[in-house]
Amino acid sequence: MATARPGWSRRAQYGLFFSFLAVIAGIIVGLILLALSLVAPSAFANVRGAALDVTGPIAGALHEVTATTSGVVTGAGNYWDAASQNAQLKRQNKAMLQRMVEARAIFQENLQLKATLQLREHERATIATGRIVGSSFNSPRRFAILSIGSGDGVRVGMPVRSADGLVGRIIDTGALASRVLLVSDRANIVPARLMRNGIPVIAQGRGDGTIDVRPLEVGRNPFKRGDIIITSGTGGLYPPLVPIGRVVKLDDDGAVALPVADPSTTSFAIVEAPFEPAAVAAESTATAPPGTP
Amino acid sequence: MVRAALTPTRRIGQGPSPIAAYVPAATVVGATLLAALPIVSTSGWYPDFGYLVFISWRLLRADPWPAWWAAPLGFVNDLFTGYPIGFSIALWSATMLALDLIDRRTMWRDYWVEWVLGAVLIAIDEWLQWRVAKLLDAAPPFARMVPALVISICLFPVIAWIISRVDARRLGR
Repeated sequence: MATARPGWSRRAQYGLFFSFLAVIAGIIVGLILLALSLVAPSAFANVRGAALDVTGPIAGALHEVTATTSGVVTGAGNYWDAASQNAQLKRQNKAMLQRMVEARAIFQENLQLKATLQLREHERATIATGRIVGSSFNSPRRFAILSIGSGDGVRVGMPVRSADGLVGRIIDTGALASRVLLVSDRANIVPARLMRNGIPVIAQGRGDGTIDVRPLEVGRNPFKRGDIIITSGTGGLYPPLVPIGRVVKLDDDGAVALPVADPSTTSFAIVEAPFEPAAVAAESTATAPPGTP
Repeated sequence: MVRAALTPTRRIGQGPSPIAAYVPAATVVGATLLAALPIVSTSGWYPDFGYLVFISWRLLRADPWPAWWAAPLGFVNDLFTGYPIGFSIALWSATMLALDLIDRRTMWRDYWVEWVLGAVLIAIDEWLQWRVAKLLDAAPPFARMVPALVISICLFPVIAWIISRVDARRLGR
């Protein structure tokens, strides 16, 4: 805007006045849009998707560069102290082979038990596989950008996992890219359980890259450092038995966990169909999930 | 503040570049597009680059762009950074208005006053982001926003310096 007193020129005075009006109109329009996007999160799905399509491929292309550079650096590090690393890896490999044979035996036994119980198996439908190419880096929310979009069959609400563990769920889709609500976001609440003893817990993000885990039943704190938290499959969105986090710190009635699938080092992410689509659909018609912008 | 005017170094035939009027808005959009960088942050401590560049221009000059441009620039920021649509539109327009009112009141300006003004605006931005996240039941305790706030405030002079260089270049000084 111009100076406080534009002089005697009528034209300059009007110009100043109208620019004030324009700014106030801008504030009002902004507030209305903000209210709309808070109340009806899906109202701007199309524009958001279009913006994702613009930035997604750029981030994807740059990601290749940074991945290569950091790969060269860490690759050089692997040669340091290679002899003792080799011996250690050989020892680990031997131990792993034994465990694998045990696991195969358990798997066989499990198949037989399931056959006798006549349990119905869900098939895990992989929709698409993509890369995590970016993230929200300056807000209290934790989002990541995934390099696949509705063109690959990705839809809002689908769970995202990597080979390591659970990443989050889709909240925005463009044709070429999509936005993921990470498990470390405050609005992402995952029904889970402790892998050690199967105690049901609730995992909620803390907004700073870690996860809060609380037992469903109040009482003794069931957590130990190093415990692995896995999804329980309750609610029907996330598939069961996917690792979420590893407990690193205990507090009075719960614990803080680090995500197993660190989005900054995860190379590939897999988008799956909701575990039990019928249950999810019934729930989303009853109440819209909170926290989706 | 523009001290460049005190030391005339302009050579003959050198003037503002033909796109000078659009450079400020373009740098704001460019800063917003930093969100497209393949940075995966788990802590969220990176500054709000678009807003930093926006207030740097506005504190450097009273009229880097027509006042109503704040709304579309904010809209672009909302789209690319993933804020709820309307957040930056309202905040950036309100910033233009607030700084105009402040310009009428302040007797003098120097680097420290600008830094304090910038710090206050950044703090308001971070607090509002936290408040909006709270409306969506997605806000961490405010104490966890403090590192991001401190980083942004410390980065502000650097951004303001870069913008003053860009300003001198676009005007051919």
